[in-house]
Amino acid sequence: MNRTRTIALAAVSCVAGLTLLAGSGLAAKKATVTLTVGLTQDIDTLNPAVGQLVPDYEVWNLQYATLTRKSAKDFSTIPGLAQSWRSSNHGLTWTYTLRPHLKWSDGVPLTSADVAYTINRARKEQWLNYTAFIGNLTAKAPNPRTVVITSSVPDPRLPGLGDTYIVPMHIYDKISKANLTKYAAQDGVGSGPFTLETYVKGQYWKMKANPGYWQGKPAVDEIVFRVFTNSDAMVFSLQKGELDVIDNPSPASFKDLQKTKGIVAVQGQQGSFDELALNGYNGKPPRSKKFSSPNPALADLRFRQAIAMAIDKQALVSRAYGGIGVAADALSPSADPEWTPKIPASLRYDFDLDKAKKLLDSAGYKDTDGDGIRNLPNGGKDIVLRYLIRSESIYAKPISDFVTAWLKDIGIGTKLSVYSDSQLTVEIGKGAYDMFTWGWTPFVDPDPQLSYFQCDEVAHDASDFTNYYNDASYCDPTYDKLYAQQRVELNHAKRVAIVHQMLTRFYRSAVYDVLEYTPELQAYRTDRFTGWLQQPAKIGPVILTNTSPTYFNLKPIKTSTSGFSAVSVGGIGGVLLLVAALGLLGASRPVQARAAREERSTKPGR
Amino acid sequence: MSLRFVSGKLLGALGTFAFVIVFNFFLFRVVEGNPVGTLFRGRNLTEAQRAELRHQFGLDGSKLDQFWHYLVQLAHFNLGRSYETNATVISEIGHAAWPTVVLVGVSTLLSTLIGVWMGIVAGWRRGSWRDHGLTSFTMATYAMPDFWLGMLLLIAFAVLLGWFPIGGISDPASTATGFSKLLEEAHYLVLPCATLTVAYLGEYSIVMRSSLVDVKQEDYLVLARAKGLRDALVRRRHAVPNALLPVVTLIAINFGFVLSGAIAVESIYSWPGLGLATYHAIRAPDLPMLQGLFLVFSASVIFFNLLADLAYAYLDPRVRTA
Repeated sequence: MNRTRTIALAAVSCVAGLTLLAGSGLAAKKATVTLTVGLTQDIDTLNPAVGQLVPDYEVWNLQYATLTRKSAKDFSTIPGLAQSWRSSNHGLTWTYTLRPHLKWSDGVPLTSADVAYTINRARKEQWLNYTAFIGNLTAKAPNPRTVVITSSVPDPRLPGLGDTYIVPMHIYDKISKANLTKYAAQDGVGSGPFTLETYVKGQYWKMKANPGYWQGKPAVDEIVFRVFTNSDAMVFSLQKGELDVIDNPSPASFKDLQKTKGIVAVQGQQGSFDELALNGYNGKPPRSKKFSSPNPALADLRFRQAIAMAIDKQALVSRAYGGIGVAADALSPSADPEWTPKIPASLRYDFDLDKAKKLLDSAGYKDTDGDGIRNLPNGGKDIVLRYLIRSESIYAKPISDFVTAWLKDIGIGTKLSVYSDSQLTVEIGKGAYDMFTWGWTPFVDPDPQLSYFQCDEVAHDASDFTNYYNDASYCDPTYDKLYAQQRVELNHAKRVAIVHQMLTRFYRSAVYDVLEYTPELQAYRTDRFTGWLQQPAKIGPVILTNTSPTYFNLKPIKTSTSGFSAVSVGGIGGVLLLVAALGLLGASRPVQARAAREERSTKPGR
Repeated sequence: MSLRFVSGKLLGALGTFAFVIVFNFFLFRVVEGNPVGTLFRGRNLTEAQRAELRHQFGLDGSKLDQFWHYLVQLAHFNLGRSYETNATVISEIGHAAWPTVVLVGVSTLLSTLIGVWMGIVAGWRRGSWRDHGLTSFTMATYAMPDFWLGMLLLIAFAVLLGWFPIGGISDPASTATGFSKLLEEAHYLVLPCATLTVAYLGEYSIVMRSSLVDVKQEDYLVLARAKGLRDALVRRRHAVPNALLPVVTLIAINFGFVLSGAIAVESIYSWPGLGLATYHAIRAPDLPMLQGLFLVFSASVIFFNLLADLAYAYLDPRVRTA
């Protein structure tokens, strides 16, 4: 007993002393300007060909420069690695001139060969993150500063190539196609403002400023991205000053942050939305008996319109979403609000339960058996819609509480069932639903999001129900025709007009009630850095944006040290341990005495 | 211990493991769902790319083909590749295993030692103020959910007092190496470890106490005292070793769960261990990862149960002959 205590005492004292030493040792270091970012998600792989998680894009945006960039203000195309470009051949061919003296962060010159290599290899090998952008492009490098890119079809996105991360040929050339998906890409060789320095799985990664970046060395020396699995702990760290900016605090703590002095809380909009989707399958394209059919009433436009009128989006935002987000009208197909049409008041389905009831009455959906639920015309069955709820969403259940109550009010029954995302994908593919709520986050170019609602994308091959994107089962040949038109329309204003026309049409079909434009919740401190950029301007988030322009734009307010103060933590910890050791020393004598006394006692236990 | 006894237990463990291997495969395929569809929703992939992904994930053959493939892989200690991170499941588990073993291992050890000691102190003088004090304390901590206790400790010691870091297992800004790095990491360990220790010591303390109270009625203790042994000796040599038997089982079984981690505490303290890995894999859904994790967890539980059986037989001769 006695000896154990002495050893314990010695050990605690040693630990205390060394902790103090460790603390003071750390104090000597700091001089670099460090930005510390708190995220709730780790990266998977830093390989831009295959990575799929949101934080991956942040790393690529910082590490890999692109031929052209997208402006922070409105995503318009601005020079990047290329300082200028011109088109020929009716906009099918684009010739880019690179800036002089471009270099990779390891000193190897960056030339047009790297650009052509990336585009051509990504197209040939169908790199997951590239095909959507360069699937139709072929690139040539006639001289080190010239890239000639030819598109096989008219592509309105050109000359913009802001999503195509140029990878270092001298590194990727050594990786075969078979090994590419396994390559973790922690080489840290890049051409952007920051490059990867260290990555510690599940904890943090660090990026350092690239002095050879073509715009010059950033004012921030290093960025530390820390991964939190407890978003409340992340919020505490921001409030304490250990972090400079955070993404994805819980909605409850976001409201606290909105009231906190010295912290700016941002509801960043970049096109994400939640929708109440109805099953609009109308027999096109034809499909086998393996698929389930929607409730027959859903085929009736008036019935769908009545549902749209029964939803009070404003109430959903303030009550189901807890006041976070913006009530929506049309679907937003892009992070750029320019592409989302304003639905005129005369065409809008505003919340009006009486109007909805009258519409249902006039369309022949009457409650013939007097049970409060309307019946299908001609003495048909009660109309009870299968309403599928996502278990992974914190909002799906509260939304369903409101929606089912409103529907009940207008005489439509619902049958709720809960699914995981993976099961729900299958159920949607099978057509085994009448309605569900889910959401999308679109790209900057509206094309992908628009493509999901073509007839071809309605599930129709039963060998794999999940192979399709059209989760409204909406099929409208006019929409498809307009889609094909906007795809090749090189005149921007004309293309915007076509897209607006498509989305207004889609809105009027009432198969897809977009409920809310859902924001990315973020917060940053104002005491250490200035120059936070929202992308797009005024409404967007500050980090995890489409091209992450914030980081290069940040300037330290004073010569601040790292956000993460190991010194105080180590120091206080050491003091604490010393106190504990002294306490133990003081207490140990009486304890010893007591132990000795007990050893001698022969008194029975009770 | 007879060879027959040992080999019987060993065979039993192996049989259980074989069952787990088969069950493990089908468990994650009962629910229909296509990971490619979910993982790549909204990614605008071409049909060819999706087919390629299904092939990469090994989802393109029949269930029987996939099962055979799984068995062959397993025979080569290959648990497949994670859908989400594309790294091998073995390496993913390897990364997450160490933090968990340290955290849950240290805390299990501490809660065992402290809990057993508390149980002895409380049980030896049943009804004393120490007994009342300790039993109320352990009952209270045992009843507390670990995530709640964790959150309280985090707010008190990391946020308000600032004595300990808020989360993680090391300081990204640190350049410490060697022993000072170890100390720094120990500093990060304190709160999560304290949470788990306090939350679980009650279990040991309560079992130890009641076991000791039972043993105290036994005739051999009266005999020991009649021989004139001191109270402390009676306790140490005669009462505690016999009372420890049920605790040994409990310890062995709990060590089996060390690997499966502590999901709630790991997520509160952003501790990148196996518990968190499981949570992420369920959310993704990352079938190979889940499969691998469940296999490792089952193996560890089976192993420690076997160890408990053998240790029990060694400690208590009655078990061997029964």
